[in-house]
Amino acid sequence: MTVVEVTDLVKRYKDTAALDGVSLSLQENVIYGLLGRNGAGKTTLMSMLTAQNFPTSGGVRVFGENPYENARVLGRICFVRESQRYPDDARPSHAFRMASMFFPNWSQELADRLVADFRLPMKTRIKKLSRGQLSAVGVIIGLASRAELTFFDEPYLGLDAVARQIFYDRLLADYTEHPRTVVLSSHLIDEVADLIERVIVIDRGRILLDDETDAVRGRAATIVGDVDAVAAFTAGREVIHRESLGRVTSATVLGELDAADRAHLAASGLEVGSVSLQQLIVRLTQHEFEPVTEGARR
Amino acid sequence: MIDEGRALFVQIAESVEDSIVNGSLAEDSRAPSTNELAAFYRINPATAAKGVNMLVDKGVLVKRRGIGMFVAVGAREQLRAERRAAFAARFIQPLLAEARTLGLSPDDLAALVREQASTQNSATRNSEGDAR
Amino acid sequence: MNRILTVARMQFVNKYTFVWMPLIILVTTLVLSIIIFAMIPYGGAKYGGGSQAPIWYFFGLGIMSLSYTFPFSQALSITRREFFLGTMLAALATAVMLGVVFGVGGTIERATGGWGLNGYFFSLDWLWTAGPLGAGVFFAVVAMLLFVAGFWGATIYRRFGAIGLTIALSLVALAFVAVIWIVARLDAWVAVGEWLAGLGVMGLTCTLVLVTIALGVGSFLTLRRAIP
Repeated sequence: MTVVEVTDLVKRYKDTAALDGVSLSLQENVIYGLLGRNGAGKTTLMSMLTAQNFPTSGGVRVFGENPYENARVLGRICFVRESQRYPDDARPSHAFRMASMFFPNWSQELADRLVADFRLPMKTRIKKLSRGQLSAVGVIIGLASRAELTFFDEPYLGLDAVARQIFYDRLLADYTEHPRTVVLSSHLIDEVADLIERVIVIDRGRILLDDETDAVRGRAATIVGDVDAVAAFTAGREVIHRESLGRVTSATVLGELDAADRAHLAASGLEVGSVSLQQLIVRLTQHEFEPVTEGARR
Repeated sequence: MIDEGRALFVQIAESVEDSIVNGSLAEDSRAPSTNELAAFYRINPATAAKGVNMLVDKGVLVKRRGIGMFVAVGAREQLRAERRAAFAARFIQPLLAEARTLGLSPDDLAALVREQASTQNSATRNSEGDAR
Repeated sequence: MNRILTVARMQFVNKYTFVWMPLIILVTTLVLSIIIFAMIPYGGAKYGGGSQAPIWYFFGLGIMSLSYTFPFSQALSITRREFFLGTMLAALATAVMLGVVFGVGGTIERATGGWGLNGYFFSLDWLWTAGPLGAGVFFAVVAMLLFVAGFWGATIYRRFGAIGLTIALSLVALAFVAVIWIVARLDAWVAVGEWLAGLGVMGLTCTLVLVTIALGVGSFLTLRRAIP
C-alpha cells in the first residue's frame, strides 16, 4: 500500500530551486533512508509531506489525501526535525505529556524506557539541555509516538556514538514489533545502511537514486592497479571517481562485475575493492567528476 | 564482518549456510528466525527475511507451518556440493593469480600445499572428526 | 472539536506559563503597590497603575504562544486551525481567570476602603460604574486583546520576517495618524469625545471585543500559511 505519493514537486525560493521536480512513492511499513548532502532538499521534502511547508507546484498525497490542514491525515504522522523548538520553560516531562495527548499510538512505557536509556534529565528545562540531550527528546518523541508515518530529520546530531547505536537498536526493535513507515534522513550513511530497506538519494533538489539498499550495494567497485591496465579495463564503463599516486590508479566504476569481469581483472593483476554505500553516494554527489563514459571523448 | 559492497541479504544467507556446513546448525533443527537474525546482526528485518526466503527457495531451509523455520534434511550435503563447485573460482583462481605475481609455478604451488597440509596434520592431533 | 480542546489542555500542561506567571505578576505588583501606598503621606485616594502589569504580560504571552509553541504543535501534527482555536481558548480561560480576580479583588478593595490606605489598585472609579462584573469583563477583554495582538505580531514576523513586521507596524501607525487627521479635518473632536463618554464601560468593552475578533481573524489568516 502506498502511503505517500509525490508528483513533480517543485519548491522555489527566489532564484534557487530547493526541490526541482521530485517524484517518488513510499510504501507501507518500510524503513527508508533519505540521504544527501546538507542543503540537498531533504528537510524541505519532509516539510512538504507534513504540510509544514508548501510546494510551489506539484502534488503531494499522504494516505491518499492532501495533508494540508488535514487532521485525519496529520494525526497519523510524526515529524521531529533537527533543532526542533519546544514551548518556553518546558521540561522533557511536559513535552512527552503533550506528545501523548496527540499521538493515538503513544507508548508511555517505551518513552520511559528510552528516557532511562538516554539518561535524560526530566526536570531540567529543555532550553538548558545539551545538544545531545535535546536530540534525545526529539528521538524519544519520534519513537514513542509509534505514528504510522514517522520522519526523523537527522535526529542524532549531538548524540555520541553509544547513544546513536541505542537509537538504531531501539528503532529496529520497535519497528519489528510495531511495523510502520519510517523515513530517516541522515548523512551518516554507513551507520544507517543496515537499517534501511530502501535508499533515496536527493541531490540539488533532484532524486538521484531510489532503490533497494541491497540492489545499490555491489553496484560499484573500485579497481586499483597500474594506470594503463586500469584504463584498459574501465574503457566503455562509467567512472565516477579517479585517484592516482604515481603509476597506481584507483578508479571507481559503476556497474555490476560478473564472473568474466573478475577473471579478467585477476588476470590483469588488478585489485577489486568493494564500495560502501556511503562511498558510492559521496562519489555520486561530489560533482568534482561528472560521470563520463570513458572513451566517449575520443 | 559485514562486507559493505555486497548485498546484505546474501551475506546473511551465507552466514546461515556457513553454520550449516560446519555443523553448528544441525539438520532438522530449528533455524534462527527472521527477527532473531535481524536483532543479532542489527539489520532491518526485511533484509533478514529476504535472506531467509532465499534459503527457503534454495531448499536449504523449510518452513513448518505454525512452528517455524527448520534446516532441511540433506541441506548440509547440498551446500557442500555447491561450495565444492565454486571452490575453484572462489579460492583457486585468486591463489594462482597471487602465486603468479610471486613467481611460483603451479608445481611449486602444489608442493607448498602438500607441505602445509602435513604441517597442519601433525599440529592438530585431534582432527574435527569429520570423515568426509 | 476534541483536538481543539486537547490543544487548550496542552497549553496548561506547563502551568507556569498560563497560570502561575500572570498570578505571580499580579500578586507581586499588588503587594508592591500596597507598600508604596503605605509609604505615601497622602490621605486622599491614590491610584496605582500596577494593575496593568499582568495585562501586558498577556501581550508577551501571545508572542510566546506563537514563537515557541506553534513549532512544537507542528511536530505533534496539530493543524494550524486546531492550534489557533485551542490556544485562543486557553488564553480566554486565563483571561477570564484574571477578570474574576480583578472583580473579586476590586470588591475587597472597595470594601476595605482601599486596603485601609485609600489606595486603589484594582478598582478605577470610572471602571467600577459597571460594577465588579463589568470591570472583570473589561479586564478580561483587554487581556485577550493584547494576547491576540502579540500573537498576530509574532505570526507576521514568522511569516514575513522583520521587514513584514515593520511594514505592519508602520501601517498601524499610519492608520492612527489618518484617523486623527480625519477627525481634525472634520473638526469633530467634540463629537468624538461625546461619543466616547456615551459609550460607557459596557460600550467600550463591546468595541474592544470587536477589535479583538478582527485581530483574531487577521492572525488566523496569517497563520494559515506560516511555516514553523
